[in-house]
Amino acid sequence: MRISLSDVRQDLVLAHEQAWSALSEPGTWWSGAQRRELAQTALLAVTEGEPLPPWVAVSTIEGRIPASTVAPGVAHDAVYRIARHAATLTREWYERVTQEIDSLAFVELCGIVCTVATVVAFRRALDLEIPELVATKSGQPSHHKPDNIVDATLNWVPVVAPADENAAVVQAFTAVPQTNRVIWAMADAQYIPDKEMIDPHWTRGTLTRVQMELVATRVSQQRECFY
Amino acid sequence: MLSWSGTEQGIEIDLANVQTATGGVSVSFAQQLVDFATAATEFDLTVLAKSRDQLISVAGVAITIDAAAVIANFEMMTRLADSTGARMQTEVVADRLVVAQAMGVDKVVSRR
Repeated sequence: MRISLSDVRQDLVLAHEQAWSALSEPGTWWSGAQRRELAQTALLAVTEGEPLPPWVAVSTIEGRIPASTVAPGVAHDAVYRIARHAATLTREWYERVTQEIDSLAFVELCGIVCTVATVVAFRRALDLEIPELVATKSGQPSHHKPDNIVDATLNWVPVVAPADENAAVVQAFTAVPQTNRVIWAMADAQYIPDKEMIDPHWTRGTLTRVQMELVATRVSQQRECFY
Repeated sequence: MLSWSGTEQGIEIDLANVQTATGGVSVSFAQQLVDFATAATEFDLTVLAKSRDQLISVAGVAITIDAAAVIANFEMMTRLADSTGARMQTEVVADRLVVAQAMGVDKVVSRR
């Protein structure tokens, strides 16, 4: 039996559409053109059958990404590595990357990868067509920076204060609120709305909480994600 | 979260079964859900199609779609956690070490 997009819950369709469109719009630290270009590299990384190994930078291989890019090569390299080999990342790697890319721009870049990875995974799992990236929207990044950004113990990246009071995944993107909103809107629609997280009996009427956690655990194990 | 939600509902979960992709205990469609999650994270589209069809046949379209949504969510969350260096408090890691060992993820690079 074939599943079509019309079978999918509207809240989920909408969350994905909004996140996908945002990939081509000006962000907080990257322009629309840069974001779209980085999303294209993330798409390459999560879909190609024979990926580059983690130690090879995609920008050094002719023909993988455009010869002339609007985002720096190191950003493309980071996007490819996160998209395809996230479990291999180390603090030393993060510190090398953020010597060349501002740490808040890095957070936004992670959000681009997360958006591409999640939409592609959903479409692929159900044999639905992966959407084209929409046309670039002009405009400059907002450079909006919350005034209470601090270093965290539970994340490499800086976060909005107070640090380390919430789970590390929850605080991870808080220093870039635009990215944080998009990612958690998708999480609410895909998994469990934030306010329902503490209820072990919560369900949409389809999967039980235990079934959801069974699937979540298997994916995390497959991705070698300790967290 | 799997152990917690199972305990809260009086369901015993054998995490080793999740690691070896043989399903869980007393969870409806466990085998089909684990097979679908496994296939969705690998690159054999034939196996993926077969596992999807099997889940649809036993659980229906709505459950299959929501299973795909959970898979997608954790393709996102694992990257979020690993790229931002997210880690748990030391005492939480100690509490969960038995679970991590059962899952075979106690020695992965992403353990920080």
